[in-house]
Amino acid sequence: MKRRDFFKTSIVASAALLTNSATAGVTGQPNETRKVSKYAFPEKRTLITYSDRPPLLETPISVFTSEHTPNDQFFVRWHLPDIPTHIDESSYTIHINGLVKHELKISLNELKNNFEQVEVSAVLQCGGNSRSAFTPTAGGIQWGSGAMGCAKWKGVRLKDLLQKAGLQSNSKWIGFNGLEKAAYFETPNFVRELEIDELDEHVIIAYEMNGEDLPYLNGYPLRLIIPGYYSDSWVKMLSNITVTDKYKSLFFMDKAYRIADNATESETPEKHYKKTKPITVMNVKSVIGYPENGARIYHNSEVVVRGVAWDGGFGIKKVMVSIDNGKSWKEAILKDNLGRYSYREFRHSFKPTEYGKLNIMSKAINSLGEEQPLSEKIGWNHGGYKYNGVQIVNVEVV
Amino acid sequence: MKKIILLSVLAFSTLFAQVKTDIQVPYMPYEIKLGKGFDAVQANCLMCHSFGYITNQGPQPRIFWREKIMKMINAFKSPMSKEDIKTVEDYLFEHYGNGKEE
Repeated sequence: MKRRDFFKTSIVASAALLTNSATAGVTGQPNETRKVSKYAFPEKRTLITYSDRPPLLETPISVFTSEHTPNDQFFVRWHLPDIPTHIDESSYTIHINGLVKHELKISLNELKNNFEQVEVSAVLQCGGNSRSAFTPTAGGIQWGSGAMGCAKWKGVRLKDLLQKAGLQSNSKWIGFNGLEKAAYFETPNFVRELEIDELDEHVIIAYEMNGEDLPYLNGYPLRLIIPGYYSDSWVKMLSNITVTDKYKSLFFMDKAYRIADNATESETPEKHYKKTKPITVMNVKSVIGYPENGARIYHNSEVVVRGVAWDGGFGIKKVMVSIDNGKSWKEAILKDNLGRYSYREFRHSFKPTEYGKLNIMSKAINSLGEEQPLSEKIGWNHGGYKYNGVQIVNVEVV
Repeated sequence: MKKIILLSVLAFSTLFAQVKTDIQVPYMPYEIKLGKGFDAVQANCLMCHSFGYITNQGPQPRIFWREKIMKMINAFKSPMSKEDIKTVEDYLFEHYGNGKEE
């Protein structure tokens, strides 16, 4: 099939999909056309900005060519408008209370000196990352692919803190609360609850990110890190940990960040699936940071496609790259493994031999054999969560 | 030797707070459409979030906006009056609607 023919069929195919959209909902490529704003936020470079209150900042896709995302370009997402504008590090404490034998108030200094210090490279990704791929528009911020980043986090194990406090035998749930506040007293706090069994020794409370203090907008001075999980429970400015025996009904647990509890995790815009589940573990995904959509590349030049791949902690086995609209796939080179929760950097070089439009696609496969689906194979869901379609970058060979 | 000492001091100092003074989150101007009901939008919506939350949703049917308003009231406890609910819904649908009721 000639390229022109391919485009013809794909136009017909997308027209067919559009007529279906009234009943089914369709999934395409996320919107990567947004530019960074003119306004730089504290400790950040200029980023794609959706809101100043609460701050919502997206990382430009070109940043995703290396395994760690720089702190000053790392994405930002808060839920409530009132964030403390000053933290006194000498008096800051984290409280551990509820069903524990000894209630604890631990200062930053004690945290850094009295417990074993650990590090983990882990991807922080919003469950709604790439939401703009869903049609009709799924409710929520219309992120492109940059509501994510990967950092080396340093801190102490949650397990070690809980051990020091001593869990009572009937403890079952742990609630995490940070310092962000709503405008109205009655608005529910952004509290997240996790079942104790879900929390393994990889869960840490971090004070350092890529060798520096956490940036203020990424949760300074302390943030919960749950490697492999979507970031909705990675509470920022963590100040309180409460152990309970019962699950408390909370808006941010019962309504937000949930997806249809069926095999395809999808539903129709007309009829949302009744039973839902939390989004939890991330699915396998890759993003191409270079080249970008609309780039011009030279005929017969050595083009190096670069990007990152990750999953929920099973580990990336390989990344495949196609430059012929998915007809053939070549295995990309993977950089050293920084651990199973980290971005895996990939690159693939090729020489474009034909002039004109060219599509570059990447597809990650993890150690369980799970691979990224083509975007049109992903079912619609009303929250626009967990998009992990194969990315298509359109370039022009000149 | 001097150089090495200086470097290590610098490296160490990055571990101290970068937030020594108050941090100012910039205010951004948003292009928002003016029209009937805008006063109610300004009075109610801006209490908790910027106009970015509205303009970044894309064109939506009336029911989408109605459900968003009800979420703000029921889940986030916005004290919006009954009259304002209708006013804000009409404004959002007129300026950020897709023409469809559902």
